[in-house]
Amino acid sequence: MAGIKQPKNKSHFILPDLGEGVHEAELIKWRVASGETVEEHQTLAEMETDKALVEVPSPWPGVVKDLGGHNEGDIVNVGDILVNYEIGSAGSDAPVSAKTAATAGAEREDAGTVVGKVDTTLTVPASFTRRGGEDNGAPLTSKALATPAVRRIARDAGIDINLVPGTGRGGRVTASDMQNFISTRSGMTTTPAPPVARPIPAPSASTPSPVTVSSDGTSEVIPFRGIRRKIAEALERSIRTAVHFTVFNDADVTALDRKRKEYSSVLGHKISFLPFIMTAICKGLRAHPSLNANVDDAKQEIHIKGVINLGIAVDTDHGLMVPVLPDADQLSLAQMGDGVIEVAESCRNRTIPRERLIGGTFTISNVGSYGGTYSTPIINYPEVAILGIGRAKERVLTKDGMFYAGLVLPLSLSCDHRVVDGAEGARFLNTVVSLLENPEELVQGI
Amino acid sequence: MPVKTVFKTSIEHISILDENGKFDEKLGKGLIPDKDLVKLYEHMVTCRHFDEVAFKLQRSGRMGTYPENRGQEATSLGAAYALRKTDWLVPCYRENAGLYWHGLPMEFVLLHWMGDERGNQIPDDVKMTPLAIPIGTQMLHATGLAWAAKYRGEDTIACTFFGDGASSEGDFHEAANFAANLDIPVIFFCQNNGWAISVPTKTQCSAPTLAQRGIAFGMDCIQIDGNDIFAVVKVVREAAERARKHKRPTFIEALTYRLGDHTTADDSRRYRDEAEVEVWIQRDPMIRLRKYMTDRKLWDDQKQKVAEENAKREVSATVKRAEEIADPEIKGFFDAMYAELPEELKRQRDTMRTSSIGQDPNQIESPLHAH
Repeated sequence: MAGIKQPKNKSHFILPDLGEGVHEAELIKWRVASGETVEEHQTLAEMETDKALVEVPSPWPGVVKDLGGHNEGDIVNVGDILVNYEIGSAGSDAPVSAKTAATAGAEREDAGTVVGKVDTTLTVPASFTRRGGEDNGAPLTSKALATPAVRRIARDAGIDINLVPGTGRGGRVTASDMQNFISTRSGMTTTPAPPVARPIPAPSASTPSPVTVSSDGTSEVIPFRGIRRKIAEALERSIRTAVHFTVFNDADVTALDRKRKEYSSVLGHKISFLPFIMTAICKGLRAHPSLNANVDDAKQEIHIKGVINLGIAVDTDHGLMVPVLPDADQLSLAQMGDGVIEVAESCRNRTIPRERLIGGTFTISNVGSYGGTYSTPIINYPEVAILGIGRAKERVLTKDGMFYAGLVLPLSLSCDHRVVDGAEGARFLNTVVSLLENPEELVQGI
Repeated sequence: MPVKTVFKTSIEHISILDENGKFDEKLGKGLIPDKDLVKLYEHMVTCRHFDEVAFKLQRSGRMGTYPENRGQEATSLGAAYALRKTDWLVPCYRENAGLYWHGLPMEFVLLHWMGDERGNQIPDDVKMTPLAIPIGTQMLHATGLAWAAKYRGEDTIACTFFGDGASSEGDFHEAANFAANLDIPVIFFCQNNGWAISVPTKTQCSAPTLAQRGIAFGMDCIQIDGNDIFAVVKVVREAAERARKHKRPTFIEALTYRLGDHTTADDSRRYRDEAEVEVWIQRDPMIRLRKYMTDRKLWDDQKQKVAEENAKREVSATVKRAEEIADPEIKGFFDAMYAELPEELKRQRDTMRTSSIGQDPNQIESPLHAH
């Protein structure tokens, strides 16, 4: 009840939610002492929540063993043990006896109630079946609380999790409870073993060590040269020169995903989000031309570009390469899609002509294809902005107070603050997002 | 004369058994037979004990939020007593005494507050709607139920309970307007306990009475001492007669007081004066009734003791029934509302998804970046 499950053997009383959504309460005054016999509903303590000063009653009769280590003035969390009871103390070991509906009804009449019930027969819908079998000596079981991960452990081990005693918060069965239960059951010990730290496997003599490690722990030395050196230089120059800032935003691409699938079926092959995003970027750059620029630091000039040459960051065996799709805004969706595949392929097999690696005006880094969400991309200097595209994931979204499932595309835009102000960067990103969220507008005129 | 009075009215207040146990013979004689009076009082003893136990069930984590009924027993009980079993009770959530008298098994209220939907699945032969938590919705249901009864030619009426706060809701005005203008046999029973949670009545109504709200709709209105079960029985009987014979609604304002907090999530000490509570403790409907019965030799301490023991036994059996019920099945959520489940709800039942999750995204504009 109320999210808290009290122990069936009544060994302790867990502090419940004393109001609505109360998480803790201050212990104002104990009204019982250790060793005291209490009645059901007798006040144990006065506690103050953020809403009210309340008296907390005992849920059953019994003998208070100790006061859970709480002193007056302490904050007690909901889910913590408030008091411990002597197990088997007066009445506390009497399990809740289950009656059939018929017996319960009979008992009700036996109670000799004389107060004004005109109709004394209990009307119980068929769905009101009583919990049975609890008074036949069988162990009391009820549904265990546990996380899905712990339930998985139980399933894998073929164990009914409801039989496992829980020691976690609110009586939850924890992973170590499962371990204890498994080791107890397998006869290793007769009492629950304390949680055992997972041993680090000792190196086995039969497993040959595949690497030789030098005294400082290095296993391989790679000369900083070739593409790696080029990448390092370019990035170092960018980060030293451009003043980076990154702005994040999300696009709800649920509708775009449907559009994408429509296009795929028309084209006869799968088309990714990328061409749509590129289209949105092209339109966005037309609306916010300051992001489609190069910086000439030597001349202290900003060159706003009239053409849109989109750089696409491509991961290759040799490292990062950024081929360029020239005049990307002149391409159809299909041409963009094919173009990306073509340049990526020619990067990977290193057949890409050098002129296709320069002249970019804006770059896209599709970290999402490797599973990333947000990033802080480094600008492909002398460009002034780069957009990191994360992986679209299904998320619970809200609208007008309602939940719905939607596909969310995370976007991260880095800009050179020397050229692009924060507001302008955010406006550009909003334009892109708005286009992605309105696919009809996005694909208009292409 | 260019200025003339076109309408003038007054509101009567009825009290028969006052807080000192003084009984108005002229108004009250023969109203409730002694035998019934004893039963009604014993019922109040049980309900009062039920209330105390229910409160503690919440505090010890055995039940969710609970609104104490303490102090308001006479209103709903008197009304239920004055009505027929075939009449509809359309409650709010502080009418346990009347609902049990009307035939609702007591554990249903516990199940309701334990969050068990089966507590709302009122047995077919008990004419009442489930407890209404959203303030004021039930008044419209009452008008609808009574209208249906009239349409079918039955002489069934409906009596709906609501608080002083609910009488400020639009729902009240809609329900009252329909009832008065279409001659619908419904009783609007306002339990004015002085507080709409922490808002005092005078803050949300600047008129001297709530009863006069009914005047605007052209219905009969009366104010009573709600802690006086005789007054309740008298006016509800008259209202029921008016409804049954003349199909006319009545607005009853019963002055009462909740001696407890609004709910277990409330602390009334933060907004109510202790002295005010003290005054109302003296006006407890049970104190005056016990005094009256004792004076009339209908009651004594021994009978009180027996009644309290019976109450304990009955309430403890009730708690047991509520706590021992088998866990509900999720699919059961869908059982009670519709005779035939609509397609969308069938889908929800079968997929265990709410209506909004998985909804066609074209039907929803993106919540992100909305301007």
